[in-house]
Amino acid sequence: MIARAEAPPGSRRWRIWALGPLLLLVAVVATFAAWGGSLTDLLGRTPPAADEFDIRRVEFQPGEIRIRVTNPQRDEITIASVTVDDAIVPFRIDGDATLSRLASRTVIVPFTWVEDDPITVGLTSSTGIETVEAVPAAVETPTASLASGAGYAAIGFLVGVVPIALGLLWLPSLRRARPQWLVAFMALTAGLLTFLGVEALSEALQRQAALPSALGGAGIVLLGVAGSWLTLTAISHALSNRGGGTAAAPLGGIALATLVAIGIGLHNFGEGLAIGTSFALGELALGTFLVIGFMVHNVTEGLGIAAPVAEGESRASLARLGTLVLVAGAPAIPGAWLGGFLTNDFLGVLFFAAAAGAAFEVVLEVARYVARRAPGGITSPYVLGGFVAGVAVMYATGVLAA
Amino acid sequence: MAKKLITRGRLLAGAAPIVVAGPLAKLALAEDRAGEPAGSPAGHHHASLGHAAMLGEQAPAVGGPRDLDELLHPPNALPHQPGRVREYTLTAVDKEVEIAPGVFFPAWTYNGTVPGPVVRATEDDLLRVRFVNAGSHPHTIHFHGIHPARMDGVFEIVEPGGEFTYEFRARPAGFHVYHCHATPLKKHIHKGLYGAFIIDPPEPRPPARELVMVMNGYDTDGDGANNFYTVNGRTLYYARYPIPVARSERVRIYLANLTEFDLINSFHLHGDFFRYQPTGTGDHWEYTDTVVQAQGQRGVLEIEFANTGLFMFHAHQSEFAELGWMGYFDVRE
Repeated sequence: MIARAEAPPGSRRWRIWALGPLLLLVAVVATFAAWGGSLTDLLGRTPPAADEFDIRRVEFQPGEIRIRVTNPQRDEITIASVTVDDAIVPFRIDGDATLSRLASRTVIVPFTWVEDDPITVGLTSSTGIETVEAVPAAVETPTASLASGAGYAAIGFLVGVVPIALGLLWLPSLRRARPQWLVAFMALTAGLLTFLGVEALSEALQRQAALPSALGGAGIVLLGVAGSWLTLTAISHALSNRGGGTAAAPLGGIALATLVAIGIGLHNFGEGLAIGTSFALGELALGTFLVIGFMVHNVTEGLGIAAPVAEGESRASLARLGTLVLVAGAPAIPGAWLGGFLTNDFLGVLFFAAAAGAAFEVVLEVARYVARRAPGGITSPYVLGGFVAGVAVMYATGVLAA
Repeated sequence: MAKKLITRGRLLAGAAPIVVAGPLAKLALAEDRAGEPAGSPAGHHHASLGHAAMLGEQAPAVGGPRDLDELLHPPNALPHQPGRVREYTLTAVDKEVEIAPGVFFPAWTYNGTVPGPVVRATEDDLLRVRFVNAGSHPHTIHFHGIHPARMDGVFEIVEPGGEFTYEFRARPAGFHVYHCHATPLKKHIHKGLYGAFIIDPPEPRPPARELVMVMNGYDTDGDGANNFYTVNGRTLYYARYPIPVARSERVRIYLANLTEFDLINSFHLHGDFFRYQPTGTGDHWEYTDTVVQAQGQRGVLEIEFANTGLFMFHAHQSEFAELGWMGYFDVRE
């Protein structure tokens, strides 16, 4: 009561008071660290560490195998011996052989591997525990060069930018469509975005599960989803304010199309990342059929952007439309670079989660728009049919890219 | 732990690739054999195979050049003298042994080494082996040979802290093994409780440079399969430190197999042939360059090298060789 009297609400003193629990926590932790061992004694001996490595990536260069490894456990772990196909091999490490918690190293093994053959690498800890990683087929990993950079950029361009530009060419046709059909296409946009969101969420959760357990946890996915959702919400408010409307008014026209493009762009970044990683690790065959599959799949995304533009009252300039195409499609290029050249699984999880959050937020924006503008409201057969068609088309064309 | 981001690739079934590290091998050989003519046999042997790269400094092996002398060189044979008492003390101790550089195996040992010390007697000696169990589990010593049932190391289990003295007449002449026979047997053997047991014949064998080689394996991660293979306990030790012998000199190798989990092990010599007497008994000698032994089998090899140079020896199961069971003789004039 006295403290309350001395520090009226609104005074800065609350920050000092807030430190209290933190200081107490530090004291308790320090006490436990000093004497907690006796608690462990009461409960019996703790089991030994698993001493298993987490082999994140195996790369093949001419005459050389590079193994990227992380220590996933609390205790230190030491790389003592390396085998390739059950044979002890000479090796070197780009740092100390002992890895502290979550530390990573690259083990370099001079080795003339056989192209396209399955190969197994093994790391043995100082306690004799061997962790093996079986590679289905040894294929040379592209290194960061101008040529491979251009190659990845070309893939990103083909699967990202080109199909969206093509899809946007439906714009003149949509402009002439009757309002209920236009609304149906808007609902289709919502359907395809929902499809992309679910896909990205599933990918994020899968990748999260493959992370070292200390880094894992569905919380990371929530962080990515919430982060992008809230960012897009802020952007949408900013856009609708700039248009002179009130913050509560739903976005429409170019502004809504921009949001859709951002949502699709984040997804395409993730798609580029996945394609780049898979190519780099030899898990994906670079086939004409595959690229065609992705192109057909992504054409629908262009249609998704075209629908709100057609709905808008004002005509969009060609530069505006070009920007929309780039926002939605070009992220596939840096995505492919990142996946092809870098190894950060943590970022991969975050990007896919962000893509999911963005997609779902844009679905909400589109839904608000449709609810207000659709003749017959949000439950009209055009809207419901359009939504289902969006999901179905994405699924059907997705089969091509599988 | 295989992680697939997108599993659209197609697996290609194929034969396991063969290791090639030729340049390394040539480098190592060029360094070590600088004084040799370029065409020396050792310099060309299996230069394209992976384990050939493992020579001298290139071979990852634990310890210094004379660390395993106690195990490699048996005590001298004594002349036949019936009734003479030969006394040994073997102490079971739990000990972490370094089997490959940086790889530690929590072993159960006789006298601190895997394999245990070489026990040697002449036929008709009275062997008195005092066994002290300083380990954490019950153990025994089961000697191969002819002896009373109560000296067999099967029923007289020695608890930790206890001891037992085995006493019996050494026979028959030959090359035998000893090992713990407490249960679970597989565990007690693969943890390291075994060793070589030589009984010399009354008529001494001709003088020779004598070597003992006990083949073994280590299952370091407890999955019932060996991760490393060695002779005398350390991977690639004799590749790091080739065994020096003289050309034309009679070399006698007492070879035993105490590898757990794998059905057989083998010994193959490069560039020459040897005579092989199974179990070190009888008059039958095979003339060959490769012998195969099941667990517990053993025999005596005799060879006079015809040429000088480095001659590899290894298990002819390539996998065992590449997991550490490989070495060289350095034959000099």
